[in-house]
Amino acid sequence: MKGTQLGEFEELVLLIVGVLYPDAYGLSIREEIINQTKRKVAIGAVHSALSRLQDKGFLESKLDEATHERGGRRKRLFAITVLGKRALEKNHELRNNLFNQIPELALKGLNLSGL
Amino acid sequence: MDFKPTYQPPGLPRKILGLVCKPDLLEEIEGDLWEHYQILCEERPQWKAKLGYWFHTFHFLRPFAIKGIGQHSNSIIMYKSYFKFAMRHMWRQKMHTGFNLIGLILAFVVCTFIFLHLRSELSYDNFHDHSEDIYRVAWMNENPQTRTPHPMAQAMATDFPEVQAAVSLSPIYGPGLTRQTIQITNEENNIALEEPDGFFADSTFFDVFSFEFLEGNAKTALKEPNGIVMAKSMANRYFPDESPIGKRLSFGPNTNMLEVVGVVEDVPENAHFHFNFIISYVTLKSFNFNDPWMSWADFGHFNYIKVQHGSDVAALDNKIPEWILTYLDWTGGSRESLLDRSIGFELQPIESIHLHSNIRWELESNSSFTYLLIYGISGLFILLISIINFVNLTTARSAERLKEVGVKKTLGAYKSQLLGQFVFESLLSAYLALAISFGLVYLLELPFNELVTGRVHAQDLWQAKTLLFLISVATVTGLLAAIYPALYLNALNPGQILKGMNPKKLGGSFIRNGLLGIQFIAAIIMISGSLIIKNQITFLKNKDLGFRQDNLVIVDLEDFENKSELVKAAFSQFSGVSDVAAVSNVPGGQFNQHKIYLESDQTNQVDASEMFIDDDAARVLGLELASGRFLNQEFAQDSSGLSFLINEEAAQAFGVEDPIGAVMFWVDNENLVKGTIVGVVKNFHFKSLHVPIQPLIMMISPRNFNYIITNVNAQNLTATIPQMQASFTEIYPEDQFDYRFLDTEISELYHEESRTLKLTSVLTAISIFLSIAGLIGIVSIAIKQRVKEIGIRKILGASIRQILWLVNLRYLIVSGIAMLVAIPVSYIFMNQWLENFTYQQGINPMLFVISALLLAALILATISLISIKAVKSSPADALRHE
Repeated sequence: MKGTQLGEFEELVLLIVGVLYPDAYGLSIREEIINQTKRKVAIGAVHSALSRLQDKGFLESKLDEATHERGGRRKRLFAITVLGKRALEKNHELRNNLFNQIPELALKGLNLSGL
Repeated sequence: MDFKPTYQPPGLPRKILGLVCKPDLLEEIEGDLWEHYQILCEERPQWKAKLGYWFHTFHFLRPFAIKGIGQHSNSIIMYKSYFKFAMRHMWRQKMHTGFNLIGLILAFVVCTFIFLHLRSELSYDNFHDHSEDIYRVAWMNENPQTRTPHPMAQAMATDFPEVQAAVSLSPIYGPGLTRQTIQITNEENNIALEEPDGFFADSTFFDVFSFEFLEGNAKTALKEPNGIVMAKSMANRYFPDESPIGKRLSFGPNTNMLEVVGVVEDVPENAHFHFNFIISYVTLKSFNFNDPWMSWADFGHFNYIKVQHGSDVAALDNKIPEWILTYLDWTGGSRESLLDRSIGFELQPIESIHLHSNIRWELESNSSFTYLLIYGISGLFILLISIINFVNLTTARSAERLKEVGVKKTLGAYKSQLLGQFVFESLLSAYLALAISFGLVYLLELPFNELVTGRVHAQDLWQAKTLLFLISVATVTGLLAAIYPALYLNALNPGQILKGMNPKKLGGSFIRNGLLGIQFIAAIIMISGSLIIKNQITFLKNKDLGFRQDNLVIVDLEDFENKSELVKAAFSQFSGVSDVAAVSNVPGGQFNQHKIYLESDQTNQVDASEMFIDDDAARVLGLELASGRFLNQEFAQDSSGLSFLINEEAAQAFGVEDPIGAVMFWVDNENLVKGTIVGVVKNFHFKSLHVPIQPLIMMISPRNFNYIITNVNAQNLTATIPQMQASFTEIYPEDQFDYRFLDTEISELYHEESRTLKLTSVLTAISIFLSIAGLIGIVSIAIKQRVKEIGIRKILGASIRQILWLVNLRYLIVSGIAMLVAIPVSYIFMNQWLENFTYQQGINPMLFVISALLLAALILATISLISIKAVKSSPADALRHE
């Protein structure tokens, strides 16, 4: 079903949530994405992906304490669920699997023609 | 930890977010944005940080965060599918889509231009504070004029409590009351320029008018002698890098006479007069305190008053005659006329001057309300035509969507949903057309302004009122086009639709043909109207004015010194010059006027324009005598200015059979000149054809000569003009050689008419194009629906010609009815327009016949062209498909 598919950007966000655990929230995730991938993304885009991931059950979240630099607003901390972990593993496995199936010749040929 | 103050993000985006964001997400989103803003503020300048905050906030306006709709909410999916349907539909019918869009775009572009033009014309002088309380005092006698006595303004301010402030002003006039350019010099920086648009004004100038002071003090600026207030652009010319206040400027030959006391913003475009600089009247009075020009007797100044808000202006106007007679020592006829209100002063609202005032001595050439009306109506017609096209095409095409509606209804679509879909589609087209037309307005800004010598700025599109107007026009267009198919198709029973309905039975063709008729009416009015305008203007241009205009070169004598004889002598030597004369005023220009009366009948005082001429002028201008003789320098009485030539109009005003030899008085302000009438010239149009010929008096007075009129040979102009320039410069080494041709001067008088002609021609062409495009659209659909009928008729033996008649007939009847309606309307409206002219070419009924035939021919040709394919094709093809 469509609902359990993991989009490319969603996968990225999901991974970063894992990397940042236990301190993953909207802004920190965005920072990390920018640092790790050099991709410029809007905060809104990250939130949008987070909300989709939560709808699909890959993420769970809770509200943290309010802090001064956020103008007294609480942040929402995200963590990967069992479902999310499974989805990541599935994707990872699929990729590795597929990558391993590529005959060496194909990559070699690429290299040659690339030269 | 640290409690350093946080940066406060801008409030507006936060409010917007608060309004639309889902409440359970709001806190974390705001928090993230806030925190991000702190980082931005540390790293970047504040404006960039703010911009970033705005950017990121707007990125939250996505379905997931917005109240009421989710990613997969029904309405989103629904609009997505509407959009898909609309795009597919538009794409499938490329020709129709093209017609629709082109028509709408054209109409929107035309409307935008006309709207912007009207707005700028209607906005004249509304930038002053309380501009509705500012009035100009005009003098309305048989030959109304803008100028009134100088002391009048301040006297009104003193004597009438409702007059809050008043100012008298005058452009700096040169000889012959031409607007003079003055050489102003900044001796320090050695900048000397010829400056036009200089004015004298009372110190109260800025109490009446609101011009923003950039430097100096409005209250005191014009109080002292020799003070000059400059417009910003002029100040920049003389003092590019310094503050001009207190600096001195030379006024013509008067070294360092003026002291700069103020700099004001440049006068906006939409003002009925523009000044470069203003010099205080006290300056002039300090030179010559008893200048008769400053007296009550001389109607030579522009007087403006500002009344208390809410005053009864009509009552004030009515008090003026009695009041002014305490200042004016008038007796006899003019006193009585003033008291019985047959002549008098009029308070012209300043905002209406540009469009409604066209009397003598206007400060700048004004525009006319009638023309605006013509533009406005043409614009509305074009809009109407293209809305009808859009409606007609959409409704005609709705027949093709019958099945779609039927299927949707069986699947359970609500009526409101179907309605929504149709509205959505037609609004989509309308807004798309609007967006494209915005781009076109930018592209066409320059050509349009050149065509109509307008001052439309494309960026005015973004003014709230303009945007609102255009968006509502587009919305109304879209809604109108959607209503019919939506209501009509909705009302049908889905079962019936799906069973198969003959689209021809769909009806609506009555309404369509009616709308087509309205289009034709608009088109006929436009065609005949522009033909009438063209006729009238050609008439004006070809009318015999009673004097020669061709090959006459006018040279300005810039100086008070009278060297006209020298110039004449020099010019007449050249082989390319056949004749030379000196005059005070040139036909087509402005004329001063004073009273004249006969010794035998002193009560019959006639206002006569005056023109000082030498004895060659009548010959050079080709004037004709009705009786008596022309002036002759040889006679002592003629050369001393005591022999008068009058025109037939003046002779008629005197009511004397034979005025030759009669003794006549000419009231030249304080001087009463007594002379003899020696000749009567045939009437000639010394003013534009907008006004009737008025009484004219001509006499010899060399000190008043301002122009040399030279009759030149058209062949060697290129040699003659430089020769003239060389000898002119020899005689007047200081002055500039200015020359122009009399015939171009005269055609300039009809500038506004020429511009209207150009614009209406373009608009007419557009309206014809749009009507025909609409016709093509409708007929091609109608033909498609009648393919079978045509096939059967052919099988039964109908000839191509008969079928073509059959197809055409209906539309010819529609256009016939349209003509019956359009012709009287156009006749009445154009007759009203023609009444603006004293000399009119009547409306020729042939014009209507021509317009009608033109349209009928166009309709026939169009319909025949598009139907010929269907008519010629083999009937077997038509009948095979089922």
